[in-house]
Amino acid sequence: MSSFTKRLKRELDSLTTTQLSASLFILIFFLIVPLFYMVIRAFFHNGRLSSYYFQALLSDPNFVTYPPNLNFAYMSRTSLGTFLFVGNRGPDFGVLFNSLFVAITVTVFSILLGVTAAFIMARYEFLGKIFFRVVLLIPMLATPFVNAFVIGKVLGQNGLFNYVFHDILRLLPFKVQISGLPAVILIQTISFFPIVYLNALSSFISIDPSMEEQAETLGARGFKVFRSVTLPLALPGIAAGAAIVFIISLEDLGAPIGLSGAFGSGLHQKLISFYIYSEFIGGLGSVEQVHASTYALAVIMLAIAVAVFLSIKKYVTLRQYAMISKGGRFNPRIRKLGPLGLIAVYLFLLGLVITASFPQIGVVVLAMSDWAYNGLPVPTAFTPQFMSELVSEPDVLRSIMNSLTYSSMATILMLVVGVSAAYVIARRKIPGKDALDSLVTVPIAVPGIILAVGYLLFFATFFSGTPFDPFLNPGFLLIFTYTVRRIPFTARSVFAGLQQTHESLEEAALNLGANRWRTFATIAIPLIAANVIGGGLLSFVYSMNEVSTSITLSSLKPEQGPITFYMSQVIYSSGAVGTVSVAAALGVLLMSIQLVVMTVSNYLLKQRVAFLGV
Amino acid sequence: MVRVRLENVVKRFGEVTAVSGVSLDINHGEFFTVLGPSGCGKTTLLRIIAGLEHPDEGKIYFDDLDVTELPPYKRGTGMVFQNYALWPHMSVFDNIAYGLRVMKLPGDEVKRRVRKILELVKLVGMENRYPTQLSGGQQQRVALARALVIEPRILLLDEPLSNLDARLRIEMRTEIKRIQKELELTTIYVTHDQEEAMVMSDRLAVMNAGRIMQVGTPSEVYRRPKNLFVATFLGRCNILKGKVIGRHNDLVDVVVNGLKLRGVLTGKPLNEGDKAFCIIRPESFSVREGENLFRGTVEWISFAGSYTQILLKISDGRVITANVSSNFRAETGSEIKLYASSEDVLILHPEEEAMAYSKEL
Ligand SMILES: Nc1ncnc2c1ncn2[C@@H]1O[C@H](COP(=O)(O)OP(=O)(O)O)[C@@H](O)[C@H]1O
Ligand SMILES: [Mg+2]
Repeated sequence: MSSFTKRLKRELDSLTTTQLSASLFILIFFLIVPLFYMVIRAFFHNGRLSSYYFQALLSDPNFVTYPPNLNFAYMSRTSLGTFLFVGNRGPDFGVLFNSLFVAITVTVFSILLGVTAAFIMARYEFLGKIFFRVVLLIPMLATPFVNAFVIGKVLGQNGLFNYVFHDILRLLPFKVQISGLPAVILIQTISFFPIVYLNALSSFISIDPSMEEQAETLGARGFKVFRSVTLPLALPGIAAGAAIVFIISLEDLGAPIGLSGAFGSGLHQKLISFYIYSEFIGGLGSVEQVHASTYALAVIMLAIAVAVFLSIKKYVTLRQYAMISKGGRFNPRIRKLGPLGLIAVYLFLLGLVITASFPQIGVVVLAMSDWAYNGLPVPTAFTPQFMSELVSEPDVLRSIMNSLTYSSMATILMLVVGVSAAYVIARRKIPGKDALDSLVTVPIAVPGIILAVGYLLFFATFFSGTPFDPFLNPGFLLIFTYTVRRIPFTARSVFAGLQQTHESLEEAALNLGANRWRTFATIAIPLIAANVIGGGLLSFVYSMNEVSTSITLSSLKPEQGPITFYMSQVIYSSGAVGTVSVAAALGVLLMSIQLVVMTVSNYLLKQRVAFLGV
Repeated sequence: MVRVRLENVVKRFGEVTAVSGVSLDINHGEFFTVLGPSGCGKTTLLRIIAGLEHPDEGKIYFDDLDVTELPPYKRGTGMVFQNYALWPHMSVFDNIAYGLRVMKLPGDEVKRRVRKILELVKLVGMENRYPTQLSGGQQQRVALARALVIEPRILLLDEPLSNLDARLRIEMRTEIKRIQKELELTTIYVTHDQEEAMVMSDRLAVMNAGRIMQVGTPSEVYRRPKNLFVATFLGRCNILKGKVIGRHNDLVDVVVNGLKLRGVLTGKPLNEGDKAFCIIRPESFSVREGENLFRGTVEWISFAGSYTQILLKISDGRVITANVSSNFRAETGSEIKLYASSEDVLILHPEEEAMAYSKEL
């Protein structure tokens, strides 16, 4: 035992101790403990351990509808004409299974679209490929709520879709209105498939071409090579992307809130995430008012997300996943296409690109025209008014300032924790390091809205009246939710940098008499500066765009709300004329910041897939 | 100038025992080489001395001070890494000045000492370049200068010449040796190149699979190897298996398939009737008469410049390699006689592990 303590003493120099305790403190106090407390609360009924709340939930027809309503679509005549209503009355499986149904469907669609698009981009050569490569990144630009609002508007009764395909082109004998879960699925798929696309793309690119050639020399051809060699090799990357899509679909609030703005209430609100959200915005005055069913629901959602995460993680550790995403070490195999193939590729890509980038384009149009309130399928007049309100409207300006403050603080904190954790994991041999390694990746599996519930319960119960009280300082807590949620990605960026720098560079400094702090500051940090800055910039953008904890916790004290909170409020209530357009203007602001940062960090990290998992 | 002492040092990496019970005594100002095949634990041993690895067992002393628990930055060794480990974000000057700045020396003093060391390694005028703008040889000198400038108590060199081309390698050997003598530095040098080890070292240790096989001066280890591994690692050998038939002090008589040989016992003691290995290096043969006679037919003869190489088929059908004076002439297929003095016939105990190694030859 004494040799163990001796080893500890040797390995735990003051730098390591500081880094280890800083990262453990943040991760335990701001992630594990609040969630743990929430789970405990969910299992206590009348002061006793019990599964009462879960039983109550599962037997409530609102949560589990049996038999489910499978009425996907129906025709109906209204004053506006004959309509095919899709998703209006069903499907409906109840809150719990609606969420699962949506998440599974979105994941499947995202895999189909993302893998197909990635395979085309990785393996075929055709005119305009660079154009498609750039345009396929547009759906990655985040415009929470407003993108969903645009889709809702386009798919509404007198929206652009019916205007074009029924009124003008007369392709459809009836009008179509898509709402409810199908609308949620559509919006989430076009927003999230790029995550699978980017992961699949980098996996395909980094497959050693000789492996495919080997299969061909053995007689395999075409699809067989893809199925037997390419796909299995790329599968870990694709699976990791799919798992992330599943989890963020499960926790997504952008689609239900955006659709609420476009259609009012409806089946698109019958989701776990929205149910929990409505608990927050229903005017909570104290933690006692939170319904027990909310924590139980949160625990169920957490369990699903964690289960998915763990089953994927068993299959592909995130470490390997990081290596896969480096990509581009080989000259990938590029083939030419025949005329039929070329037509198919163009049709697929054009359809995908137009549909997927429509929301972003629509947001820009909303922000700069009268489209939001003219009651017509198309905009009729340009106006700079809403963009200028970003600086002239005090409420809007305050939300921007709030966002900037929280995001910069969170970025600093993330970098401190991310660099500390990555450095300990990459460089030290202390016992318990593996635990830190896992702890750092856990936040990927924690839906933001669940973290918000955990914070609400834990900090309101134990830190009432302190700066950590969510009813007094939700903004302060947001700094920590951003930090915790983004740490896996920040740490991974730094870790990748450390892996690329030879440890002997640091050992040379130790050998020349520099202690560990000095070595860290003068050798390690400068060598990974690009990764730190790149990772920091991306984390900043992430924080600016964060939705789930921002719009829930801030609702406890609206004047502390960041940009996304302001947007959600405006869209959800779709109140006064022009407010939606201001939200769109904020969306344009967010997209612009993201574009600048993407460009800079891609340059810094020299890595095509910097946006992986955002 | 420091004496370095290792006492029964053991280092394991999981299943692998990289260093297995190494004890060494390295003298003041000595140029000491650790020689062994790749993967035998040389780097690990050097890193343990520098404090970059902690041994699982054993102790390290600098003079009489136990430094086993001392962190690397308090040991005062100067190490040249195999890959040089120059910092790409610093100029040559800043790389070299780093250690001096750590010591908080005043700016003028730093400049003066860097300049002096640049003269020593012949790099004056390169101060403002970055490592990527230097050739391999120049990078190697910067690494050396960076280690030397702090006036280390011990200089540690990990295969510093292995990344250089053949000519530069030979040039740098003398250069390093010159500097080491000039500064009278206790130096531990790691290499897998036996020629390099012999040319440069005052003494050397031959290492295999984490163990020290033999320590001695270059000529001791070459001429009196303690086991088959050392004998074969230091140069080509003819290996003949035989049986001991008599002993006269250091000299042993062995019979190899009817061929009677007399040689020196260099390893573990042997008794009459024991099996034994006879080791004869190709250059030990001569056409001049000597104690041990080898009669055979010339299978192949080739001129190699400084010597002539003969493949000689002896009575039992075995072929031995002999390098003789380059003016020797003979026809392929002709019968000739070669001789070896008993001083050059090495008789070794046939140890198990040595057998295993000899199979690869
Ligand atoms: N950090 C390490 N982790 C695991 N194994 C190691 C490590 N360093 C060295 N080894 C192993 O220890 C043995 C000796 O390595 P090394 O000291 O580098 O040999 P050499 O320098 O003689 O080539 C090798 O088998 C090597 O794989
Ligand atoms: Mg080595």
